[in-house]
Formats: sequence, C-alpha cells, structure tokens
Amino acid sequence: MTLYVKQDSLIHEMDPITKVIYALVAALLPYILPSYTVSLTVLVISIILLLVGKVFRKIIPLIGLSLFLIISLVIIQGIFRPDNVTPLFHFGPIIFYKEGLSYGLLLMMRVINLLCAFGVLILTTKPDDLIQSFIQKGMSPRIGYVIGSVLQLIPQMSATIATIKDAQRSRGLETDGSLLVRVKAFLPLIGPVIMNSLISTRERSIALEVRGFNTKQKKTFLHEVHTYKYAKVIQAVLILIFIFAILWRIFL
Amino acid sequence: MKKIIVENLKYKYPETDKLALNDVSFEVEEGEVIGIVGQNSSGKSSLCLALTGLIPHFFNGAYGGKVLIDGFEVKTSTITDLSQKVGLVFDNPFTQMTASKYTVYDEIAFGLENMGVSREEMIERVDWSLKMMGIENIKDKNPFDLSGGQMQRVAIASVIAMRPGILVLDEPTSQLDPQASEEVFQVIQQLSQEGITIVIAEQKMEKLASFADRILLLYEGKQIDFDTPEKVFSRDDLHNYGVVPPIFTTYCKAMGMKNKKTNTYPVTLAEVSSLMGGENNE
Amino acid sequence: MNEIKVENISFSYTDGQPILSNIDAHFRQKSTAIIGQNGAGKTTFVKLLKGLLKPVAGNIYVNGMNTKEHTVAQLARQIGLIFQNPNDQIFKHTVIEEVMFGPKNIGQSTEEARQNGLLALEKMGIVHEADKNPYDLSLSDRKLVSIASILAMKPPIIIFDEPTMGQDYLGKERLKKIMKDLRAEGVLVLSIIHDMDFVAETFERTIVMNQGKIVLDGPTREVFSHEQLIRDVYLELPHATQLGKQLGLKQTFLTVDELINFNRKKQG
Repeated sequence: MTLYVKQDSLIHEMDPITKVIYALVAALLPYILPSYTVSLTVLVISIILLLVGKVFRKIIPLIGLSLFLIISLVIIQGIFRPDNVTPLFHFGPIIFYKEGLSYGLLLMMRVINLLCAFGVLILTTKPDDLIQSFIQKGMSPRIGYVIGSVLQLIPQMSATIATIKDAQRSRGLETDGSLLVRVKAFLPLIGPVIMNSLISTRERSIALEVRGFNTKQKKTFLHEVHTYKYAKVIQAVLILIFIFAILWRIFL
Repeated sequence: MKKIIVENLKYKYPETDKLALNDVSFEVEEGEVIGIVGQNSSGKSSLCLALTGLIPHFFNGAYGGKVLIDGFEVKTSTITDLSQKVGLVFDNPFTQMTASKYTVYDEIAFGLENMGVSREEMIERVDWSLKMMGIENIKDKNPFDLSGGQMQRVAIASVIAMRPGILVLDEPTSQLDPQASEEVFQVIQQLSQEGITIVIAEQKMEKLASFADRILLLYEGKQIDFDTPEKVFSRDDLHNYGVVPPIFTTYCKAMGMKNKKTNTYPVTLAEVSSLMGGENNE
Repeated sequence: MNEIKVENISFSYTDGQPILSNIDAHFRQKSTAIIGQNGAGKTTFVKLLKGLLKPVAGNIYVNGMNTKEHTVAQLARQIGLIFQNPNDQIFKHTVIEEVMFGPKNIGQSTEEARQNGLLALEKMGIVHEADKNPYDLSLSDRKLVSIASILAMKPPIIIFDEPTMGQDYLGKERLKKIMKDLRAEGVLVLSIIHDMDFVAETFERTIVMNQGKIVLDGPTREVFSHEQLIRDVYLELPHATQLGKQLGLKQTFLTVDELINFNRKKQG
C-alpha cells in the first residue's frame, strides 16, 4: 500500500532526488527561522506544489489524522506554557494565554508544513522510482530491496496476523477482554507471527538468490527515472536557501 | 555433452546426522523431462537444491561427489553463475514474489536487472516470458493481487526470463487447485517443447507419467531407480519406498494387462486404451 | 447425534459483493468433502461454520448453538477447525505442549490434556516426536502436529482445511484412516480438499461449490457421475472414475479397488 497517486503533472515528472531535497529544506526551514512569515511562506509554496501535482485532496485526510495531535498541542501550550502572562479568553475556569496560543499556533504550522512538504514527495513519487534514484546515487541495492519489499510486506502481514488470530481463537484462546486475557493471548499470537516471518524470509531469500540477487554485477534498470531538465538548478537553489537560512540564524 | 551430470552426490545438512543425499548418480540429456519421485524426506528437495548450487553454497553442510551443469562443476561455481543456467521454482507462490515490485512486468524483470541485462534485451525477454506463460493479460497487476495459480506462473516466468537451459521445479503444484495445477503442467510441457530441460519433483504420479521421459526414484537419500516411467512404475516393490504408481498402472497390474513387447504396464490412460485396442485387434 | 444446520445464509464483507448467497445445508453423521475451485467460497463457508465469521443473513446452528450468539472460543468445544498452514498456530517449544494448548483452553486438566495429547500424537504416528521442537520437524510432520492439537480437544465436529496438501502417499493413508476412525467414533468430519482421488476414497458425501453457491450436494458417487458439471466448475474427476469411463463402463467408480473387483467378477 503506497500513498502514491498517479497523475499527469509537472511535479510528477520531477525527479525524486529534487523532491527529497525540497521536502527536507521545506520541513526544516521553519525550525531554523522560527517566524510566522517563513512558516506561512513555505506552507503556501508546498500547497501550491500539491495543487500543481493534483494531489492536494489527498493531503487533507492526512492532516485530518494529525488534527487531534495538532489541536491538543495548541490547547496545552495555550494553558500550560511557563511564560504565559497575558490571558486572552476564558473557557469556564480555564484560562488561555496569548503567549501560549501564539506558540501553539507556530507548532501547528510546523506540523502541517512538515506533512505538506513530505506530501509533495510521497504523493507524487513512486516508491520504486525513489529507491531506484537512491541506488543510482550509490545506495546499496540490497538496502534498496529491503526498504522496497518492507513497504509491501507489512500490509501483507496483516492478513497473516488475522489468520493466526483465527487459528488460536479456534483453539479456545480468548483474545478480547481484560488486560490479563490480552497478556495471556500475546505469546500465542506473536510466536507464529515471528516464525512465519522468519520462514517466509528464508524462502524468499532462496528465491532471490536464484534470481541473481547477490551478484557483484552492476545493475541495470528497466525503467528510466527521468531527470527533469532544471533539476540541478532547482537543487542548487534549494540548498543555497538552506545554507542562507542557517547563516541568517547564526549571525542575526 | 550431457546437460546434467550427477556423480556420487552425497550431502548432509549442517547439524544433522543423516545423509540427505546418499550416493546419487545420473545423467540428463538436453531437452529431457526428468521426474523425481519418493516419499517425503526422501531427498527430492535436497536434490533440486543441489542442482542449482544452493546446496552447498547457501545451505553449507557436508558435500561430496560432483554435479556438473553444462560441464561446469557446481561446487566451484557461484549461485549467480548457475542461475543463468538453472532456474528453480518451488511450492510456495507467495514467497517467490520479491515484494519490491508493483507490477508483474517489473517482477519478471527483477532478475534481469540484477544480471545487468540491457534495457532492450530485458523488454524482449520479459515479453517472451509473458507470452510463454500466457500471462500477458495480467502484466500490469500487482503480484500480491493474483491468485495462487497466477502467482506461480509469474514465478516461473521470472525464472525463465533469465533464459536458463534447465528448469528445476520442486512440487510446483502442491499448493494449487486442480485447474491451476493443470495450467502449470501445460506450461511445463510447452517449455519442454521449446527445448528446455526439465527436472520436476512431484507427488501427482498420473500427471508425471504422462510427460516425463525418465523417472528418478529416491528413498532415504538413496537412488533406487532411474528409468522410463513404464519401467519404474511397473516395479513390484514400489510400496517399500512409500510410492504408489499411477492408478492406471495399479489397475493393469491387478488385471495382468501387460505390454508384452516392453514387459511393462501402462502408466497413462492413453496407454491403457491403446493396450486394450491392441488386444482387441489381435 | 452431531449436526450442523445451515439455514439460508448469505455473507459478504462489503455491500454489493456477496461471497456466499442463500446457502442451505444440513450436516449429520456422514463425512463430507467440500470441493471447488479457489475463490468458490469454501474457506468463507467453513469459517462461518466455525463461527469465525457471522452470517449477514440466515443462521447456523452447531449442535444447537447459534454461531451468532457465541464466541469462537465458546464454540471451540463443539467444533474444531484444522488450519491449512501449521506455522499459523504453532508457538510452543515442544510438540506435546503445543498439542496440550487447545485442550487446556477448553477446560481440560493438565493431566487430561497430556493424556489426550499423547493419544492424538499416537494416532498421527508421531508420538516419538513429542519432546521435539515442532520447528525441527519437516513441514508435513508439523501438519500432523497441528491435526493432533485439534484431535486432543476431542471436538464432536472436526473440519479439515486442505489436510492432504504436501502429504505423500503414506501421510495420506494415515489421514484416511484417522478420518475413518473419527467417523466410526461418531465424530462429524468435514473437509475442504483438492485431491479428488482422496475425496472419492474417503468421503461419503460431497458438496461442490462454485461462485458462492452450492451446485451439487449428495453422495460422493452420485456427485462424480455428473462429469460435465464437474468440468464446468474447473474440477477433475478422480482417476479411478476416469479409468472406468475409459473402459466403457456405465457406473461411476470411486476407487481402483472397486474397478478391479468389478472386472474380476466379470471375468470369473
């Protein structure tokens, strides 16, 4: 299961490495320069990119998932931050302070910004293209394989776990209920999960061996990962912005 | 030159006492179909692994004797070198999918990418594989969305794309339903017609008898017989080795219906008919 | 009398995609094979019988207990299900502990569980492996352990899921004997199975499923006389049946011994 959304857009055409650099720079910039202006600017840029990539709609559920975390951050900062002095409004007996809420809002922007920045990367890039780019840059193909296969194997595992749960329940094991019941059910459930994984991994490594996995030969690739014309330029600009931001922070 | 030469092959898995393979010797001509039969733990899987170099290189253990593939000795070759000469397919379709690819097409190209094959050649070979296995219609599907039978055909396609001259299959249909099994057997026969040498370990005797050129009978790691299906299945002592012949042979043995020319019993339905037809004509 | 009543059940995971539609069946006494192509709904059906899934419509009564009103663990005393892959359930360090797990869960004392466990292992021919680690055994022997672990629970109804997969001739003969012994003890035996020869040699009744429906249900001999329908659902006839037809005989033969005896009588 990937978050990748197939679309026809400029962002999709861009090569993965450029997008990785963008995601890192965009996510880290608001931490290096903690001002609203910076955070907002970066956020707006990410949103524009998401819109251009026609994947904006997909980021909303992801933000929705972290909404709980975000709102609780704001509330907690608003009430409990140590340097809260100026009350802004009351909610019954609870007082919300300006300083805390202000800081909470900043945190909220950072989180949303992080999601959007990485969203630009993850929603518009095929996982195997991303991994292939790293391998072409020198990452070991074996590590690339591990990352790539884990992305698909973990969702597959949920089916196996369901079967194991069924099998043990069929032998009279109760799995729902009090804490004690759940603790007792832990080993009968986790044991087969681990063994199954080990056995599957072993069989899979045999299958990989006979398909030349451990060859010393230099790999070729079926798919070309297109490098966008101005990729180098964009990457250089992004890195410059990053360095500039660090320098600004240190010296100003 | 013989395609496969096995000479006094002996093997013991690490930390075990018994020999998994005990002095096995046979030779296979190019293009032959060899069936390996025997009860569980008779050495069928070990022999399949020995033909690909996984024994001894992956499993280590104590190894004696020789296995020569196209004249190259397995003991001194790498598994990677051998993977271009011998392909291996085993019983679990699921664990033969690499899981790192999102389409059947990419999955089949996996081995070719590892071997550094050029893009043009890759495309040619994958297209050929898809056609051979009759799975062009699923080439864009995710391997994990396939049925067991389809997955197994993708596994075979992935292996033959590396263009080995020999295909070793270790009980490839044991987890498949009757139709999927039938499809896999048909594909194996087609590959054999293309000239690929086939070595297949199986429990489905009736199926094996219908297309194997010779049968190797194993028991406790030892080689008991290596001959045509008719000769091997006509033996009186098969039950001593935990093996039963095809049902057709059992019937003919009980009814005394022998092929007088070859002094063997029929092993397929077709052979039963022609024997009876022949008798009627006499 | 052990029985399962299946009353007009339907099942789907999501609306609009029914997996099983309007299934009626009554299981009593006779050992029954459930055959059909992969995807026909056999596994779903068996899970419904076991209570792992609850029917969306209709009811299933296992020895009088409605599966909708009981947990799987509660039903486990009445009905045992032997899963296809032994690796999906084995987690103890020795075979005997593994086999005792189920019995202890349903209320047997440790001593009872041990006795029943050893007895079950003996029936499966692997009592000498009782103190070994299950993962030191071959896959086919591990399968026998998983069967023993359900037998030791002594359920009056047992369902097997592909018991013959990966088994050799001797393993299958052992399974045949166990199923026949269970039947003789009054246990209701059901099995999903692909091996048509085994079905013909072992089961009194056969149910053929296709696309979520039961298309044939009756005595095994009668079911295999419907050659065209069997082929239409992508199944094969048992080899002995094929041979009988080839010999031009009108009856449906289930085993090679039947054929041999029939022809010997004709000759003699």
